[in-house]
Order: sequence, then C-alpha cells, then structure tokens
Amino acid sequence: MSAPVQEKIPGRLGEMVAKMEALYADLDLAAVRDWKSRGQNRRAVGFLPVYVPREVIHAAGALPVGIMGGADRIEIVRGDSYFQSYICHLPRSVIELAVVGKLDALDGFVFPSICDVIRNLSGMFKLLLKDKFVHYLDLPQNFDRRLGGRFYIQDMQHLAQGIGRLTGVEVTDSALRASIKAFNHNRAAVRRLVAARSDRPWEVPTLEYFLLLRAGYLIPVEEHTALLDEYLELVGRSGRHMMDNVRVVVRGAFCEQPPLGLLRTLERAGCYVVDDDFVLGAHFIERDLDERGDPWEALAEGFMEYSVPSASKYDEHRTKGSELVRRVRDVRGEGVIFMAPSFCDPALLDQPMLAAALEKEHIAHTALKYSEDTGQFQVIREQAGTFADGLKLWSNA
Amino acid sequence: MTLTAGIDVGAGAVKVAIVETGYCGERLRGVCFERIRRRTVESVVDQAFETVLNEVGVRRDQLDYIATTGEGDTIPWRTGHFYGMTTHARGALFLEPKARGAVDVGALHARAMRFDERGRVLEYRMTSQCASGSGQFVENIARYLGVALDEVGTLSRKAEKPEKVSGICAVLAETDVINMVSRGISTPNILRGIHDSIAMRLASLARGIKVSGTVLVTGGLSLDAGLVAALADRLRDGAAVVDVRTHELSVHAGAIGAALFGAFRHEKLAAKQPSQNSTTFSEPANAGGG
Repeated sequence: MSAPVQEKIPGRLGEMVAKMEALYADLDLAAVRDWKSRGQNRRAVGFLPVYVPREVIHAAGALPVGIMGGADRIEIVRGDSYFQSYICHLPRSVIELAVVGKLDALDGFVFPSICDVIRNLSGMFKLLLKDKFVHYLDLPQNFDRRLGGRFYIQDMQHLAQGIGRLTGVEVTDSALRASIKAFNHNRAAVRRLVAARSDRPWEVPTLEYFLLLRAGYLIPVEEHTALLDEYLELVGRSGRHMMDNVRVVVRGAFCEQPPLGLLRTLERAGCYVVDDDFVLGAHFIERDLDERGDPWEALAEGFMEYSVPSASKYDEHRTKGSELVRRVRDVRGEGVIFMAPSFCDPALLDQPMLAAALEKEHIAHTALKYSEDTGQFQVIREQAGTFADGLKLWSNA
Repeated sequence: MTLTAGIDVGAGAVKVAIVETGYCGERLRGVCFERIRRRTVESVVDQAFETVLNEVGVRRDQLDYIATTGEGDTIPWRTGHFYGMTTHARGALFLEPKARGAVDVGALHARAMRFDERGRVLEYRMTSQCASGSGQFVENIARYLGVALDEVGTLSRKAEKPEKVSGICAVLAETDVINMVSRGISTPNILRGIHDSIAMRLASLARGIKVSGTVLVTGGLSLDAGLVAALADRLRDGAAVVDVRTHELSVHAGAIGAALFGAFRHEKLAAKQPSQNSTTFSEPANAGGG
C-alpha cells in the first residue's frame, strides 16, 4: 500500500491546507528567499531539531528556519557517503540538501545538542560550508540554575553575538523581550491548536496539525500565529464528522519527522492522534515566558523549568515515564504508539522505560519504526489497525 | 435492536452486509456483492450500499453504525473502520459457529487466522508480496484457458492426473500453464495443479499458526470448490485434525464481520454513555450515496 490520497478540502480551509502543503514541499526554501527579498540585508538562520530558542535568532533580526530533512522528496546520492549505514536518515538528507545547494538561502545554521549524529553533522557543516555561520548549541543537561542555567545563558549569548555579526544587529534586552512576546503569542496559538486537536481530533486531522506546525518553521512567527488563529476559526465551522477511532498518544517522532503518508495511514487505520511529539520544538515550552524581567533568564527558565520531557533531555529524577502516564490521562488517551525513526538512539533508548511506566498503569502500547522517506505503509497500517481494533473491541477502558 | 452495516472494499469487489442484533441474537438482513471492474471504488460502494438498503427496506439514518473494512478506510462517511483480519475472523465465526480458524483468500492477498469463541484473533499469517496464492492469479489462469470463473471449481474436481505447477511465483506458474497447454494437458488437470499449488501456500500459512478443528474458507476464492477441496486434502496430511469448510456467504465474511463488530462497538459505547440513546458520532455533512 502506498501513501493514501488526501481528499480535496473545499473553500478557504482547502486553500490554507494547499498553502501549507506547498510550504512543506518547498525544499528550495522559496518562502525564505521571498522573505529575504522583501528587505535590505535580510538574513535567515536554519536550525535542526529538537529545540532552539528561536527568540534569539528573531531578536537578532534573522528569520529562524527549521531544517527538518528532505522527507521522501529527495533522492540521497551524496548524503550516504558522509555517514555509516546504521544511523538515522535525517542527517543524510540534510547533507544532501546542503551539497546540492537547496540550503543556499540560509546564512547560518544552529545545531542543538540532541545526539552524536547531529553533533557530527554540525562538524561536517563547518567543513563543508566554510563561508556560513555554524553554531553548535550545547543545551544544558544539568538543570541546576546556577550551573546549567548559567552555562545555557552564556551559550545563547554566544549564539546572539554570532548571528548579530551576520545581521549587524545587536541583541538588546528590549529586542529580546519583544521576541519573547511574539513567540509567547505563537506558543499560545499552538497550545490552542494542541487543545483543539485533543478535544476534537476529527476537526483537526493529524496531517493538517503537522503541516501547520511545519509551516511555522518557514514563515515569520507573526504570520504563523495569524495562520493558526485563522485555521482554528475555520475548522470550528468545518462540519467534519466524528468517527469511531481510538485516541492514541504518539511518542518518539521528535527529531526525524514521519512522512505525510504515515500520518494519513495512522488515522485511516482507526487512530486519532490526540497527543504527540511531532515538530517538538514548536511546542517544547509549555507556557508563556516572562516578558518583563531579564530576557536571558526567561529563556533559560523556559528550557530548564517549563520544557516538555524529551529523549533529548537528561531525566535526572526519572520522571519521563510518569509524565507520559499523566499526559495520556490528561488527553484521555486509550493507548500509546511508540513511533521512532529507525536507528534513533535517544528515542529507542527511552522506550523501555516509558513502556514499563505504561504497563504499570495497564495502558496499552505498541511500537513501530519509520524513516522520513518510508513509502510503503502496509505493515504500519496492519500494526496500527490491529492495535486500534484491540483497543476498540477488547479493552476494558 | 441494533442495526448496522459492514462494507468490505476488496481489490476486486465491494461487499456490503446489513446485520441486526438484539435479544434474539444476530440476524443477517441482507448482502450485496459488486465487482469494481473499471469504475471508481466510491461509485461502486455507493451503488452496492444503496442496493442492499433498498433490498432490506432500511434507511441510512436507521443504521446505528457503518463499519468499513479492507480498503474501506477511504470512505469518508463511515462510522468506524476495522482491520480485515479482525472482520474475517468474526464473519467466519458467524457463518460457521464451530470454526476457530479461517483462511481468507482475496483477489491479491491470502491470510490464515486462529481465533477464540468471540472472534478475537489470536494469531495470524499472511502472504507477502507475491500474488500466486490469490484470486487474481486464478482469474488470469482461467482467462488463458478460456474458462468461465464459475466453472473453474467444477472442472478442477474432474482432474484425474493433476500437473505440478510452481507454488512460489505467479509469473513462473503462468509460464508453466502455457507449457502445459502446448503439451496437450487437459484443462481439469491444469486447474487442479493450480489449485494444489495455491493450497500448498495456504496450508503452510494455516499450519504456521497451528489451526485445528473447523476452518472456514472466506474471501473471493471461497466459492471455488476446486480450491477448497485441494486445501482440505493438503490440511488432511498434517498432524492436527482440520475440517475445511466453506459457506455460500463466505465471500461476505469481511462485511458481515464488520457489521457485527460495528454492533458490538455501538453497544459498548452506548453502555459507556447510558444517558444517550445512540453513539455520539455526528452525521457527515456530505454523506455519499444518497
């Protein structure tokens, strides 16, 4: 079974979805080029998953652009020669995008610490793109404010200086506060989207939810917030009907993103995804950040105190399992699908711990793997379908 | 009383069943079978659905649950979807209450499953990519031999000396058949050879999950008496006692199972929400098929 075909959506909502699909398919970053062409000396800075404080890039006058790989839309020719075969697919497609010139619109790159592969990728970018700004953002794994917090602030300030040299704009406290405010508006809109999807998943299909989050990685934050608001208004009036699907929580897809066909397959197999970690950086901070005090402190606090549990973060107090259980309960989830990219060490290493926590609470779970260029979904359809049937028919919940 | 519909969209045909469940048990109200041929699946589903609704005298809005299975997950006005394995097991149990196993042979896939007394699948195996154990393969061979599909089973059972055919690959098997025709092998012997080759693959699936007792053949090839006989012969060889059966409605097993599980699901949800008379699924704004 290949990727199921998407039904045509009528009206303004259909136009919006088409625009989001076009942004998703825009491997040449035409939207970024367009943004740059609308002003003098505009700069764009790409960042890799999972989380980067986009406020810093924004405050330095640059456009933060998410680099999420080539999905299933680019043939890997040279990318494979840079990496061994037993690692995930994302870095291969990112290298491919870079060497064929598809990332030329970007003036700099930020690689947050998440795993060895992304760290090595940052080194390759330094060697390959000598004329570009490349920064390895070493996110703290020590969550003591005086240690990890201080370290993180220094690292963000180095990042701000680097981007400032590109744009010629110094990141002042007031500029950073303004950026935090803009991203707070965006976070609030994303939270409304997440809540709508969890409450009425038939109105907000996973595919559209995913495309909306992805769009936010290519357009200015202010435009994205407006897009989210309009979408939410339209879907509320869409008249989409509720189906008897099971409510599942998906974990493991926080870095390399699943192909669109996989998201459609899950829903058609009878699963409403009511919580997930897709495009996690877009909803990584769970609440608004302080807009009035020290903005660096506010950003550090966001990461240290208010970020969601993730395999890319050290879990000092071993609370990831209980946090997942809490989240499943909060969204009235009936089961969990661990959906990790093949060879994703952080996701796969966390899985046994998370699965054990679910089993203790008698929450059903299943696990499947994908890569960003997966094109055949029959096995996934079978697995998700039987999981959904099991929950619908034989679960006591 | 709960009234539900099951729609099984296969690779070659659409099957629809209407089922009524209540204090007196489960009653099959009507079925419809429609080949897809060169039409869109949506139009065939709409036609088959309306046909069976008219035949049993039921309006769409009287249905408590519209369940799809197979490739029916593209039907936007469904209430819910069940995986094919789940529905064939339940349909087989309805048609043959003694059955604890089923072999579903459709146009492009074949699978064997073992289930309990509620129709819950305990174990299953299915064919992979190759279509040599499938209905499409038999259709192709029948076309080469100039035999109508409904004659295939009868002719096969007249075979006296079946010819061996490749059981691994449909393409090789088709080459074998061309050679046999040129060698003057009789049509019954060729057909029984084909049935034996398919039966060998199906028996291997069934043995892999240790089926025993009564096993119902479902899916499009369930009406092919030659294949059922060949499978019965194959499974007679094994250690476990297997009673291979078919049913005149076996081809509808998926649709019947979907309708029955739709009813089960409807009642389960109603029990969760006792204040409501029906499940809370909203009506689609643009339900197809009238």
